[in-house]
Amino acid sequence: MIAAMDQVASQAGLTIGMPLATAHALCPALDVVEHNPLADLTFLERLADWVERYTPCVGLVPSDGLALDITGAAHLLGGEENLLKDCLNRFSSQGFSVFGAIAGTAETARAMALFGKGGVLAPGSEAEAVAPLPLAALGIDDRLTLSLARLGLKSIGDIAQHPRPPFAARFGRDLLDRLDRVQGLVETTISPRRPLPVYITERRFAEPIGHEDDVHRTILTLAADLARLLERQGEGARRLELAFFRTDGTMRRLMVETARSLRDPKAMMRLFRERLDVLADPLDPGFGFDVIRLSASVTEPTPVHEADFSGQNDLSEDVAALVERLGARLNPSRVLRLQPQDTHVPERASRFLKAQEGNAALAADWEPWREPELPPARPIRLLDPPEPIEVIAEMPDGSPIRFRWRRVFHVVVKAEGPERIAPEWWRIVGETMPPTRDYFRVEDETGTRFWVFRAGLYLRECEPPVWFMHGLFG
Amino acid sequence: MSVSYESLHALKQSMESIGRDGARRFGSQETDRVHLGFNEVDQSLGGGLLRGASHDILPKSAQEGGTATGFALALVARLAFGVPWVWVRQDMAAREVGEPYGPGLAAFGLDPASLVLVTVPDAKEALRAAEESLRCQALGAVLFEPWGDPKQLDLTATRRLALAAEESGVTLITLRSGGHFPLGSCRTRWEIGAAISQSEGGEGLGFPAFSARLILNRQAGAGGPGGAWMMEWNHGKHLFQQANFGTGLSPSSHRPVAKATPTLPFRHAS
Repeated sequence: MIAAMDQVASQAGLTIGMPLATAHALCPALDVVEHNPLADLTFLERLADWVERYTPCVGLVPSDGLALDITGAAHLLGGEENLLKDCLNRFSSQGFSVFGAIAGTAETARAMALFGKGGVLAPGSEAEAVAPLPLAALGIDDRLTLSLARLGLKSIGDIAQHPRPPFAARFGRDLLDRLDRVQGLVETTISPRRPLPVYITERRFAEPIGHEDDVHRTILTLAADLARLLERQGEGARRLELAFFRTDGTMRRLMVETARSLRDPKAMMRLFRERLDVLADPLDPGFGFDVIRLSASVTEPTPVHEADFSGQNDLSEDVAALVERLGARLNPSRVLRLQPQDTHVPERASRFLKAQEGNAALAADWEPWREPELPPARPIRLLDPPEPIEVIAEMPDGSPIRFRWRRVFHVVVKAEGPERIAPEWWRIVGETMPPTRDYFRVEDETGTRFWVFRAGLYLRECEPPVWFMHGLFG
Repeated sequence: MSVSYESLHALKQSMESIGRDGARRFGSQETDRVHLGFNEVDQSLGGGLLRGASHDILPKSAQEGGTATGFALALVARLAFGVPWVWVRQDMAAREVGEPYGPGLAAFGLDPASLVLVTVPDAKEALRAAEESLRCQALGAVLFEPWGDPKQLDLTATRRLALAAEESGVTLITLRSGGHFPLGSCRTRWEIGAAISQSEGGEGLGFPAFSARLILNRQAGAGGPGGAWMMEWNHGKHLFQQANFGTGLSPSSHRPVAKATPTLPFRHAS
């Protein structure tokens, strides 16, 4: 069956939905490419990236359309007419056959683009403009179109002039809802593909720029603009996004997250520099960028004069800036802080948190672990996962005498234990219970200290007992 | 032309205290040193460990990675008391020696809340992250842990780190987990081995003990002697102390270890 075709094919008399055999009979020289909906969708996504140059609010209209919310964006390109012309020209210059329209709602625009003459509809003229369009413009399925046609209803205007209740009773509310939307009688919104940024600044260039210095200078001016916007609203950015649109239709996005709310343009610039430095495939301007946009997608209220946090667990401004720089370079998930957890299971008692995720979560209380008078009861480093070791123990349920870890034999000179740690049955749902662990602190003949455990109680849980190396003491 | 020994000495001293760019160099004043608490060691170091300098810690054997970490952390505890500090560790080190463990750090006398852990995939990124961290004056110390004997850890790279440390006054502790031989330059270099811990009655485990050898000592005014000591970390008092051998273990540990190793290569040509 034919899913899509080009203009030449349609002139040869083919139609969409026609069986392939019929098509071959009509036109023996037919080139056939298998339909791949997934590839189409990916491609549509890429086109959507590209049209973000006009507005950040872009929605996909399956399977081959894009809806743009250009509220407040048209004046940047000299009015709606120019925007539409620019957009359609760019597409057709790349070999796409494309139809476009601008109207009060996305549905009206779609109907006008696909079934009408396109162009820009003046506000208020929607109902009139769509009246002569065929019923398919409502986006209803063929069966419904057919049954309406049997009643002699062929255009949108035909339905619109009749009283509504009988339609609702016979064909369902959906038909009338669609009618309202296409006629522009109800307000509809485009659901954007990506969360909309809160603040946006951008620069458009008549002459595309490509030189690295120019790009950096542009980023800095954008950052200064954004800083002014943020300051006026008393907010600071937590996530910043930089989008580069190339003249040939590709775009590149860079994102940085910050450790504290940020409003300093120089600091923003530094973060982006770090990111640009480590890009695996460097920013390639091709024939130049014609739009560069900086947006703050996550913000939080920030006092104008940043308060001096003197809380013990707060990182100072300098350290927060360091965390940010390292995070931008490596990845925020590689810059971590420790947080204690209320649990007996050793490997869960200490958790790593992204250092950027603020200090509130780190009202850390490590006090219970501090015992100044006693030798440390917990190792300074923990192996994850615990490594199996071979152990000879005094008694099956006693402390180890000798063990082999990583192919080296250790003779235990001193051992303390067992410290019995039972699994937390109240946290385990629907799995088998892990065995109880008996922990021993052992010191070998050289004085190296280890934390080992035996999994399973002797004769009760498993046989023979299995031993593990779990940590190293200082 | 005759110059008296005293005036030459005074000139040398005043030159020592001037940095590259004419700024005052760290380490020239008493406050720039950190006492370790163990008198003999402090004397050998000329009054304590230099702040704003680079110190290397090499484990004696592959099995003693945990012990070397312990010594490095004890130095960090002395250097960064109540101040944030950074631990840059290579992924491989975590796989081989383990990840820092909060409860253990707290039990060791450190505040885990003031640690910022930076995990890096390779030695090159580790060097970059360490240098970046060393430039942040708010830190008490940077614990830098590359894995093995990476070729990137050469003279140039370690000098860069040392300069960064000198300029900010932040101390660099390089923990050479998985390392076999000394690399690059530093102010002091320690070889850390395990030592039997001492406890009352000799039964259970005692305070963390180390057999520490100072194999390179280039601290200003120290005169450069090395040494070897049995050191014990008292995390309650936050100080090193001499391991007490009164309770009697093996007879060999009765001997003063410092005198037993007078022929060590104290200075490396690095």
